[in-house]
Amino acid sequence: MPLEISADAVGGSPGFSPFAPWRHRLSLLLVASTLALIFVGGLVTSTGSGLSVPDWPLSYGRVMPPMVGGVFYEHGHRMVASFVGFLTLVLAVWTARCETRAGVRRLAWLALAAVIAQGVLGGLTVLFLLPTPISVTHACLAQAFFCITIALAYLTSREWLSSTGTRDDVVGVRGAAVAATAAAFGQLVLGAVMRHIGAGLAVPDFPRMYGRWIPPAEVLAQLPVAVHLAHRGGAVIVLAFVLRLALRATRDGDARLARPAQLALALVFVQIALGALTVITEKAVLPTTAHVATGAAILGLCWFATLRTRRHRHAAVSAPAVAGLGDPAVS
Amino acid sequence: MFMRKTLAVVALAVPLALVACGGEKQEAPAAAPATTQTAAPGVAAGGAAAKGSASIGGKISFAGTAPAPEKIKVSADPYCQKEHKDGLERKVVDVKDGGLKDVFVYVKSGVTGTYPPPTEAVELDQTGCMYKPHIVALQVGQPLKIKNDDETLHNIHPRPAVNQEFNVGQARKGMEVTKTFDKKEVMIPVGCDVHPWMRSFISVLDHPFFAVTDEDGKYEIKGLPAGEYEVEAVHEKLKSQMGKITVKDGEKATLDLSYKG
Repeated sequence: MPLEISADAVGGSPGFSPFAPWRHRLSLLLVASTLALIFVGGLVTSTGSGLSVPDWPLSYGRVMPPMVGGVFYEHGHRMVASFVGFLTLVLAVWTARCETRAGVRRLAWLALAAVIAQGVLGGLTVLFLLPTPISVTHACLAQAFFCITIALAYLTSREWLSSTGTRDDVVGVRGAAVAATAAAFGQLVLGAVMRHIGAGLAVPDFPRMYGRWIPPAEVLAQLPVAVHLAHRGGAVIVLAFVLRLALRATRDGDARLARPAQLALALVFVQIALGALTVITEKAVLPTTAHVATGAAILGLCWFATLRTRRHRHAAVSAPAVAGLGDPAVS
Repeated sequence: MFMRKTLAVVALAVPLALVACGGEKQEAPAAAPATTQTAAPGVAAGGAAAKGSASIGGKISFAGTAPAPEKIKVSADPYCQKEHKDGLERKVVDVKDGGLKDVFVYVKSGVTGTYPPPTEAVELDQTGCMYKPHIVALQVGQPLKIKNDDETLHNIHPRPAVNQEFNVGQARKGMEVTKTFDKKEVMIPVGCDVHPWMRSFISVLDHPFFAVTDEDGKYEIKGLPAGEYEVEAVHEKLKSQMGKITVKDGEKATLDLSYKG
């Protein structure tokens, strides 16, 4: 089912909404801060510091513990998360007060709900000693929240508000963007599972697997190995989908669509190299953490490409779907 | 309007919920300290099995070349850096004159009867950003008192396979926490996530017949009833070694075991 970003899709009446530069800048700051937060969260896991602060919401009974050893990473993560939570709260209240599009207001509230849920999940995973389901959900919700912030930033951008119409999607870039986004998100879920069950080195060599190009059958039955290999296989799938998106966006000829897709493709190659380095260096902190953050960046770019294609292209066989959302041309 | 009310409720409820979740891990400090290096058959009153007069002793030796000591960077915490100005080295395989230190030696099978746990606590100290002792042994139900003697914070985080995992913070010097283990389990790894180089092992048995080798690799298990026993020596890095021995009342039997590098 195709994704349609219409007034109905975000649940609002298509009232006129003037460009609010400072609110848009705040949303951009939120996007950047969230990506930084994902990197810092990755640092916590990469350094094995997730339980260096055993209590929550305070840290060793204090608001500000000594930033030593693993506390630096874990409490640092909490501090950056608090900053992101604060930005989200300000943006949600600001949007609720000033935004005329109900759908955007709801999206801002959704962002606030997500960041609160994310904080609670982070606390629960500490208090329950990093149970895999909670830790994986925490990791995946981080990516989903990142996508929400990107949507908020784009929906409040001058480009979205001043777009004067769409044209036919003759090369199929819309579907390609959705598929690439889904593939990237699926791969991030697999990566989170692999990370939190400790399967990052379940296959200890790269590019071979247990010294072979086709891994021995007896190891495939082991869950960590299966998850690890699925993640490697997922990388090939993501590469295929992002390559398809980049090719179609380039063929479309619109730089607004081609640029994020091409950048995502470049990052996929960087990401594969970082994945290899993670294995070869036996999960050295920097490549492992950069692998997490680059994965988020690829997802964010594919999602941004999806939003842009929905804004500027409509399905070749149907009526224009991107109407409303405060588009001055249609309101 | 609805959203504003919702926000107000969230703003009030979330901090309350968060505060309510915190501070559950504080525990009362324990009573008297106890030694862990050599097992004492000091069995508490009530339902104890017969106390024996035999003992098993010997030397756990290591033949070959021991791995080079690990060099550990402690600069992540200025206090630890101050405690180890020249850096920290850890000998995982600590050999002196062929004797292997820090091997947990215990009677694996042959013990009959029940041995209620001593009431005195075994102590695990955090001092100089290290655990002392490195190998801790106690009985099921016996208190383990964990102390922070450092001017920095630590968290104590055992990762048992069958016992209950816990993670307790000690923010200040002098803090203590007492824990017990309710199942037997050998060599439970214990770590501090703040200082990842800190490592210790806790062994929990349902009888008092165990010991830890000293720096010469020597051990002694006292108070055994006469009988035939299977003894296991477990090292954190090397494979375990097994031996069988028969002891008579009042005798000290010798059982030496050896590892090869």
